[in-house]
Amino acid sequence: MKAIRLSFFQMAAAMRRDMMLFVSCFSPILAGFFFRFAIPLIESALTDSFHIAAIISPYYKLVDILFAMLSSTMFCFVSAMISLEERDEKTAVYLFITPLRKTGYIVARFGVPSAIAFLATIILLPVFKLTPLSPLTILLLATGGTLQGMIVALLVLTVSSNKLEGMAVTKLSTLTIFGAVIPFFITSDIQYVISPLPSFWIGKAILENMPLYMLPAFVLSAMWICFLFKRYLRKI
Amino acid sequence: MIIVENLSFSYTKSPFISGMSFSVPEGEIFGFLGPSGAGKSTLQKILIGMLRTYQGSCLVNGIECKNRTKNFYENIGVDFEFSTMYEKLTARENLQFFSSLYEKKPRPIDELLETVGLEQDADKRVADYSKGMKSRLSFIKALLHDPTLLCLDEPTSGLDPANSRIMKHMILEERAKGKTILLTTHNMQDAAELCDRVAFIVNGKICALDSPHNLIMSKGAATVTYTWVENGEHRASCPLEQISSDERLKNLIAKNRLQSIHSSEPTLNDIFMDVTGRTLL
Repeated sequence: MKAIRLSFFQMAAAMRRDMMLFVSCFSPILAGFFFRFAIPLIESALTDSFHIAAIISPYYKLVDILFAMLSSTMFCFVSAMISLEERDEKTAVYLFITPLRKTGYIVARFGVPSAIAFLATIILLPVFKLTPLSPLTILLLATGGTLQGMIVALLVLTVSSNKLEGMAVTKLSTLTIFGAVIPFFITSDIQYVISPLPSFWIGKAILENMPLYMLPAFVLSAMWICFLFKRYLRKI
Repeated sequence: MIIVENLSFSYTKSPFISGMSFSVPEGEIFGFLGPSGAGKSTLQKILIGMLRTYQGSCLVNGIECKNRTKNFYENIGVDFEFSTMYEKLTARENLQFFSSLYEKKPRPIDELLETVGLEQDADKRVADYSKGMKSRLSFIKALLHDPTLLCLDEPTSGLDPANSRIMKHMILEERAKGKTILLTTHNMQDAAELCDRVAFIVNGKICALDSPHNLIMSKGAATVTYTWVENGEHRASCPLEQISSDERLKNLIAKNRLQSIHSSEPTLNDIFMDVTGRTLL
């Protein structure tokens, strides 16, 4: 535990030294303020201008979903970037042959950041949500968001071989969270083309108020994580 | 300390290391010599528990490497050929962080830095270090937690002669303290100078294993080559052990007609070439 704790603190210190990563950790709060306060103002301005009852408000649920996934994804992105840097510098290889070992390293770089991402979502989502969400829904969204964050982090680590590539892959892999958008805009069965993405089911669960749809989201997330994790282990 | 029995390992379907057996007692410097791709690094990775899908047995400090626990690493120090430092941290910060991962009380950082002549650069970022400075820093990083087994991969690579001498002196000092040292190198001179025993590894197999002295002696004595002038320059050789029966040489000496004479002892590299049919140089 001592080695895991110290290794995590080392990651936190590396994050503090890198301004981009430091800001990324706090970006969910900035985004939260925007979602919670700016979007209703924009909605009000738009509805007044166009004399329409609602323009953005029918999609407030979607904003809440994206926020839940964004906060988790940003924490996991930061840990993925630091892991890539450690791979570049070969410090990760060295850490594997200390009492931290590979297992401890994975816990320090994925387990702990994912747990923090989950807690951050649990705390931030009730503060910045735009729609009434039950405690159960918040819990489910935080879990789904955290799993999504892990998928993004593993995609970055599996596909890219250095920090620069990691930045590019992050942009692409973050697109996987937009599966949640599909049920809101495509009502026909063609929406199921996106169904292999866990985010699609998260969107569907919240849109249709059917918590049961979170089950395929969790199962698919587990499958994605297992698949990517095996590839990641082969790579390190 | 290390007992390897019938070790086999493969990255693909064809075996990469096969039927390897050897043991290394406590307090010995044991060298792995071989060309690139021979299996030295793979063997080292198995011994430090990084590759665990091997067949056979590989005991280090009484622990089977594939079943290693975190305590296994309390007594192993590794110096890779490449730098494994956080480039944005200073040397001191790196050493402080890595030493903190162990339960053991670390050796004094300033003392270690001073030994390798880095005390003035302790608070400089590793990114600003030269290759040689990084090598020295990596070496003392492996010593931080006072391990009983040291695995050193090309420890003198990239070092100037003075620092190479300091490094070798430190390696011998560690052995004097009773530590077991595994040395992987291409440098035959280092191996001959430092190792109590060496193993020649080619194609995943040990081709020869003995002390450098015994291996050199196994080739036979040195040869003496001499030249003289008689209607042009002539050259001849004879084994050192038969020098007294070389009538021509005796005659040339008696008449002071030798132009040059020198002996050439076989080197570890000659033995390596003899045994493996390949060269490391």
